[in-house]
Amino acid sequence: MANLKLLAEKAVQTRIAILQMIYQGKGGHIGGALSCTDILVTLYYTVMRIDPKNPGWEGRDRFVLSKGHSVEGLYAILADLGFIPRAELDSYRGFGSRLIGHPSNKVPGIEVNTGALGHGLSVGVGMALAGKMDQKDHKVYVLMGDGELAEGSVWEAAMAGSHYKLDNLIGIVDRNRLQIGGSTEDVMALEDLKAKWQAFGWEALEVDGHDFNSLVELAKLPIVPGKPHMIIANTIKGKGISFMENEVGWHHRVPNEEEYAQALQELELRMGAF
Amino acid sequence: MIKYASTRAAFIDSLTELAGSNPKTVLVCADSAKVIWADGFKERFPERFIDVGIAEQNAVACAAGLASCGLIPFVATYAGFITMRACEQVRTFVAYPNLNVKMVGANGGIGAGEREGVTHQFFEDLGILRAIPGITIVVPADASQVGKAVKAVANIPGPAYVRIGSGRDPVALDADLPFELGKTRVLKAFGDDVAIFTNGHAIPRALAGAEELSKAGIKATVVEVHTLKPLETEAIAEILAKTGAAVTVEDHSIIGGLGSAIAEVIAEQVPVPLARIGLRDRFPESGPAEQLMDAYGLSVGDITAACRQVLARKEGRHG
Repeated sequence: MANLKLLAEKAVQTRIAILQMIYQGKGGHIGGALSCTDILVTLYYTVMRIDPKNPGWEGRDRFVLSKGHSVEGLYAILADLGFIPRAELDSYRGFGSRLIGHPSNKVPGIEVNTGALGHGLSVGVGMALAGKMDQKDHKVYVLMGDGELAEGSVWEAAMAGSHYKLDNLIGIVDRNRLQIGGSTEDVMALEDLKAKWQAFGWEALEVDGHDFNSLVELAKLPIVPGKPHMIIANTIKGKGISFMENEVGWHHRVPNEEEYAQALQELELRMGAF
Repeated sequence: MIKYASTRAAFIDSLTELAGSNPKTVLVCADSAKVIWADGFKERFPERFIDVGIAEQNAVACAAGLASCGLIPFVATYAGFITMRACEQVRTFVAYPNLNVKMVGANGGIGAGEREGVTHQFFEDLGILRAIPGITIVVPADASQVGKAVKAVANIPGPAYVRIGSGRDPVALDADLPFELGKTRVLKAFGDDVAIFTNGHAIPRALAGAEELSKAGIKATVVEVHTLKPLETEAIAEILAKTGAAVTVEDHSIIGGLGSAIAEVIAEQVPVPLARIGLRDRFPESGPAEQLMDAYGLSVGDITAACRQVLARKEGRHG
């Protein structure tokens, strides 16, 4: 049984690290990093089979952060788990740092270099195919943004996932409904998103992307053998910092000193409540 | 009399052999199995064959995923669909993370696309890939060389591209000649008046040009540069220093491919007169390969004229 309290605590801790990295590094994508924090925490602390002491372990589950711009939370988690030194987080976005603004496989625990949108699911298809070919039982998790679903390559991967019956492939959409240019439905409408994935042959499920009770169920996937699974996780962009929530401007704004202080205070209050 | 042998068949034969000895070998197609004559491979290794349908972006990114799990995927389809349609996947998802993905592009050159027209004639592939860091780029001379080149790139880690042709490809070299990745080689040395750098199915034309010049008392050295990246710069500079004049002959745009690569060595290391034979920044038409290449500046006469012109410049005459 997953420890929900621990997850909640790790989530606040990760949000604090995201805020600090972006404030100190003077750049990043805070809104989307905060919307997918709870998903990342659930994957890394309960769902995925990984070994921080042996990042290249062959039997590990694979994770692809297709929305590579939300990398800060991932770095924080990798540091907390011991994949990278905790002190390295301070080098985020600095010259010579491995921790650049988008994931790179130079960082232990990161499989592929992502950030150009719409490609992660295809890479995941390849990883899942490799598992099937070599009769390995690793699972592949691909976390996508909702805005990037406008890329045609996503739907090439969607076809391949169901064609090859990749039930070891689990996609997650961070459905925060905002992208840099505004509401996803205004920029390029995605709905009916669940029906789209179903039409492409995926087992599509909708969850509250901030509810650990539901998120821990990810560990039980696949529930339908022979089908890839797509989890549409409804989230709030900027989640956890009151004035950032659902505000499109916080896609990649850097908080000023005052905003930083307020945001930190909010998160630390929550931390103190545990 | 020109003899022909299929570079596509040679690729598949070689890949089939590789898969027989290394079960990590995988062929990834984008409904291109018929194009690259892969039926034999499919039959022998159905579990090592992946077809993603007409979706080259997915083919390349999916190959990246396979490679990240330790497999050795070969993505094979038309050259332009890999290097243009899936260009970003090649750059960001294969080359940048330095994944062990091999790419094989068919219909390289205007001659290889003969009757299909510009949509299926690819004369920019090498220029595009040369601009991306970290990809080994090979333009084998003919079918026999393709077979050997495929094994050579399989033996090195990291991304590689092998350019193949239409399936009706002129035999350029003796079948016994080895293939040594990364090495230039002198195919014919009449003398040091001018160096003719060439590769791929343009080689027979370069050799014919050198032969003709020799009869007229101009002694050329024909040098094959099958590995465009990494380029054997030192050997090329040495030849340039010896001849003091150069002509490049390739079935590719004169922008970005062999002509550009040699021009870069010349400009930075051994400034000598140069003329580039290739497609001169325009779209070709379609037609029989030999006729097409003659019409678009790759005739033997074009090559000899270019050699005379650089020779005149070398000797201080107006070419």
